[in-house]
Amino acid sequence: MSTTPTGAPAARTARPRVLRGLTWLVLRQHRTALGCIAALVVLGSLWIVYQRGQLIDLLAAAGWPGKTVPQPVVGEGYRNLTSLLGLLPGILAVFLGAPLIAADQEQGTAQLVTTQSVTRRRWLVAKLGWCLLITLVACSVLSAVFTWWWRPYRSVLPDIWMDTSVFDTTGPVLPALALFLTAAGITIGVLVRRVLASMVVTFVFCVAAQAAWGMFRDHLGTPRTVTYPLNADFPAHLADAYEVDRWVGSADGQLHGWGSCAEATEKATNACIEEKGIVNNVFEYLDHGQMAAMQWTGAGILLAGAVALTAFSLWWASRRPL
Amino acid sequence: MAETSNPGGSPGTWALEAYGLGKRYRRGWALRDCSFRLPAGRICGLVGPNGAGKSTLLGLASRQIKPTEGDLRVFGKPVGDPEVMPRFAFLGQSKPMFKRFTVAETLRMGSELNPGWDAAAAERIVRSGRVPMDAAVGTLSGGQRTRVALALAFGKRPDLLLLDEPMADLDPLARDEMSTLLMAEAVEHGTTVLMSSHILAELEDMCDYLLVVADGRIRMAGDADALVPAHALVTGLTRDGDLPPALARHTVIEKRVQGRQFQAMVRLDGPLSGDWQLSEPSLEEVLLAHLRSPDAPALYTPGAQIETHGSMTA
Repeated sequence: MSTTPTGAPAARTARPRVLRGLTWLVLRQHRTALGCIAALVVLGSLWIVYQRGQLIDLLAAAGWPGKTVPQPVVGEGYRNLTSLLGLLPGILAVFLGAPLIAADQEQGTAQLVTTQSVTRRRWLVAKLGWCLLITLVACSVLSAVFTWWWRPYRSVLPDIWMDTSVFDTTGPVLPALALFLTAAGITIGVLVRRVLASMVVTFVFCVAAQAAWGMFRDHLGTPRTVTYPLNADFPAHLADAYEVDRWVGSADGQLHGWGSCAEATEKATNACIEEKGIVNNVFEYLDHGQMAAMQWTGAGILLAGAVALTAFSLWWASRRPL
Repeated sequence: MAETSNPGGSPGTWALEAYGLGKRYRRGWALRDCSFRLPAGRICGLVGPNGAGKSTLLGLASRQIKPTEGDLRVFGKPVGDPEVMPRFAFLGQSKPMFKRFTVAETLRMGSELNPGWDAAAAERIVRSGRVPMDAAVGTLSGGQRTRVALALAFGKRPDLLLLDEPMADLDPLARDEMSTLLMAEAVEHGTTVLMSSHILAELEDMCDYLLVVADGRIRMAGDADALVPAHALVTGLTRDGDLPPALARHTVIEKRVQGRQFQAMVRLDGPLSGDWQLSEPSLEEVLLAHLRSPDAPALYTPGAQIETHGSMTA
């Protein structure tokens, strides 16, 4: 220790200070997280570009769209990618949101910062602002790149648009879901004030919230109904529609359950159809054309939730001792 | 120094003024009905048993806790006003710092977050302890950490330095080094210091002002030099197994009866006459007597008293 050189302050101060004040502090404190997220976004985007290129080559070789291509056109990589995108909001909430304020409370660094010349509210705004901004940027980029791949080739890709692996990972839903869950993680951290406990609670919350979100998704759009003759083929333009329900109906518009005439023999089935006067198939569905409206509606709801949670945690943490 | 010196008496000359200050937690009052003044430029010891309200008082003064009632002013400004933030520095018992930051980054944090940052002073304090600038704070020893924390505090150029048991976890050597550093820096810049401590000897050496709290109330406030002579240690013979009635016109802080003899710590309210042995107690004896007897009336030396709170006088 006695041999430590003590006369070289110039090397340190020579570097120009680009970042200042709280921005510098927050980015320095979270520089590991920032690096991980940046790497994830860059590598994730490159991976999507690579897989998209592979798919384009494969489709060109098969003569698509002129000819049909044998399924599946994508392999394990696509599955892993959609899983990663689906997990990303939860990962950000648990590892970025929950410890954001709780770690500073637990280690006392909240006290350190707020007894410098910055108020608690300014510090909280800087922390939350940075965290939510990086979440928004990272998820928007990945969502945009994935949407750019999925949209033109959705007819050959395995998932339909209402699946979690597409609806929640494209368009505005991925960033909105990530912002909502991360804001929830921050709020849980502010309330629990312990890193590990808040991460566990946030994880449980994410599982529950995403399950509830999956059940709620059907209600984002108003289902449409189409009626076509009993013996006719399924209308081709509805190939990528999402089925909500399906009936058989009589000429006077009375609906019967889809299997209400599923009898053991064809004779019995025909008798049943005749008896009930069934002439039509009735198909209730959500059209792919509704996807954008449904995604923006859902994103709006999630963003409103994120704003409410952020406002609550700012208010709560500003009025209580940290 | 015997008189509480504060010529002029304009608001800026008081580092801290408390008016009926109180803080209630769910468990009850941590601090209540607390009124005192601390003149600028003094080194004030904050004394009291564990749970007496010392940390609460320091938390209130450093804006980490909001008072339930009453008013606290820092250099004449309400403590809730963000303008007071650059004027004080706080050093908590656990000395929290970012463990992954290097010493240089810790000092940079000070410069980024404080408008009046004195980089030269902070670096001088760090270098005089031969603390390597590029070491992570988490790898430093307790003494080195305290030195960096003090550098951060003094780099802020505070007018008021609030210390919550700053030396509690240091070995005797580091404690001596830090005390010397603290006194040198405080005297050089005329910084007012309010520090809580359990070590009475430390207080006797360093402090010229005292604030004694017990059970969430102020027991004594004022010049260390004036508080001690206000007391006398009286030894004499008991009458009917108790103190002689002639002592009753003085304030008896603490008494001890052994057989026919008694010894009492008395606050003098006039000349003391009688067939007793008088001796001047040490600061430590006065403090211990007050801490053992929380029911004794509070004592303020003239300047420490808030005028509006006039029921108790020295």
